[in-house]
Amino acid sequence: MASEPLISVCELSKQFRTYRRREGLWGGIQNLFHREHQYVTAVDRVSFSIQRGEMVGYIGPNGAGKSTTIKMLTGILVPSSGEIVVNNFVPWRQRTAYVKTIGVVFGQRTQLWWDIAVIESFKLLRRIYDVSQRDFDERMETFNQILGIRDYLHTPVRKLSLGERMRCDLAAALLHNPPLLFLDEPTIGLDVVAKDHIRHFLRAINRQFQTTVLLTTHDLDDIEELCRRLLIIDRGRVLYDGPLALLKQKLLRIKQIKFAVRDSEQAVRLASLSREGLELDRVDELTFRIRFDRVKFSTADLIRQILASAEVRDLLIEDEPIEEIIKRIYAGGALLEVSA
Amino acid sequence: MKILALSDTLAPYREFSRIGFINILAFRLRYYTGIITYLINVTVYYFIWTAVYGPALKTSGGTIAGYDLGQMLTYVSVGWIIRSFYWNTIDQEMAYEVLEGKIAMELIKPVSVQGMWLARAVGESAFRLILLTAPAAAIIALIFPVHAPASAAHFVLFLAATAGSFLLMGAISFLIGTCAVPLQSILSLIRAKYWLIELLSGLLIPIAFFPAPLRAVSRWLPFEHIAYTPLQIYLGKLTPSESLLGVAISWAWVAVLLWAGHLWWKRALTKITIHGG
Repeated sequence: MASEPLISVCELSKQFRTYRRREGLWGGIQNLFHREHQYVTAVDRVSFSIQRGEMVGYIGPNGAGKSTTIKMLTGILVPSSGEIVVNNFVPWRQRTAYVKTIGVVFGQRTQLWWDIAVIESFKLLRRIYDVSQRDFDERMETFNQILGIRDYLHTPVRKLSLGERMRCDLAAALLHNPPLLFLDEPTIGLDVVAKDHIRHFLRAINRQFQTTVLLTTHDLDDIEELCRRLLIIDRGRVLYDGPLALLKQKLLRIKQIKFAVRDSEQAVRLASLSREGLELDRVDELTFRIRFDRVKFSTADLIRQILASAEVRDLLIEDEPIEEIIKRIYAGGALLEVSA
Repeated sequence: MKILALSDTLAPYREFSRIGFINILAFRLRYYTGIITYLINVTVYYFIWTAVYGPALKTSGGTIAGYDLGQMLTYVSVGWIIRSFYWNTIDQEMAYEVLEGKIAMELIKPVSVQGMWLARAVGESAFRLILLTAPAAAIIALIFPVHAPASAAHFVLFLAATAGSFLLMGAISFLIGTCAVPLQSILSLIRAKYWLIELLSGLLIPIAFFPAPLRAVSRWLPFEHIAYTPLQIYLGKLTPSESLLGVAISWAWVAVLLWAGHLWWKRALTKITIHGG
């Protein structure tokens, strides 16, 4: 039985008014008296809904409208048209009551006070979210176990590394244990270890508290490790809304086989392999790579042919990386294949 | 029970005041130089007014617009002392946060944005009261011939009026700061406000020195309650009942301007654009 969605967004649009500036001295004088404006549509009739406990990746190229959507969902921006209902609130209309029920992290910004110790910001947040001392201590303990933030609680934020700051910001956003967490590029600029910490933490809170998570990211490992569902957006429109697995199944068409032969004489014989729709590259003296469309060719047949025509020392079969799929989607066209 | 509920409502704002206090502690050096700046200002005005009163002492019994030199010097000294308390930088900070897009981080907090800025200013002013106003007052009182307040009642009313000055400045700064939402860059507006208030608050020259038409206009504006009203009360130029009326008008302006700020901010929010990220 489908329950009431936690987030429901219907025909949501946002237009920004921008001013065209005329150039040159005369243009500058004209600008003083009359400014021409134009409307730019950042989000264009977007609809989706998210159930409690889901972890959804909201992805798209730069300027696609991801952040604008998140800012409308968090009650910061007022939509130009369309409806948003989150947790029975209309975010922008009931902002102060609504934001008590969500956690927000913007990867490029911090909600902690820059010049004072992290713990002071936490104390403030405890009071404004009305968290009891017991809950506060308990949650700080949990956060510390996964994120290891205890060591720098007494350091001013400006002295923290980006990874340390991000961990603190995550903890800050979750101090009041909100049922819903919005993350805008939470792993931007972080090193591998810090990214791993944060992904681990997000999985843990999702499992432990059924926290619903909506995150935007350019990091495809984030998606692979965190999200079962993807929303792909470009130029303000939703291009894809569905499981990551389905996207892979439908769009993962290119496979590649890498293999190494025993000696360079063998290489000559491989010429017989090349044919229409199959790319054969020589990576180095003894290593070759075949890229092919898995719909047109059977992987097993190809391997058999390779083994028959040369003495193979080593062989590796790989899927196309998810980046390639996303790139094809952004370039346009690719999704026609999925629309079914 | 009601008082308890109110204290719960105020609890988050007390935290913002605390943060404002600690935050400014991080820059305490700025305040040692602040004391010197205020001393220099008072010294400059001391010499200016002594020079201005030179001819008056010989001709008109030593008073100008009802002020003798001693009152004038007290006016200037106490004026700068309370200025160190009521001054705030809400508009500058808001302008910065809007321009940088940091304002988004304020909007995700479950508090009134206006209340938050005021609470932070309370914390900062409390800090300045201890580290700037108090030492500056002590030093100025030692160096310059500052009169004591007219009476105990006058002094209490003076304090109430000065609290009003702080809130007036806070409310006005918030209104100006909100202009950053539609206008983006409000540096010139902040500068214009600065000089307008220095002049119309009566800090530079008492309103009594203004030409009659300007005095008449000023009566209907909130600005003279920032410096002129508390200083008039301090000097005993107003009777206690006149003083009480002055304080009441000042606080009424506070209510009006806070309400205007609340509405203006709500309206501005529907137009907000946030850059970056």
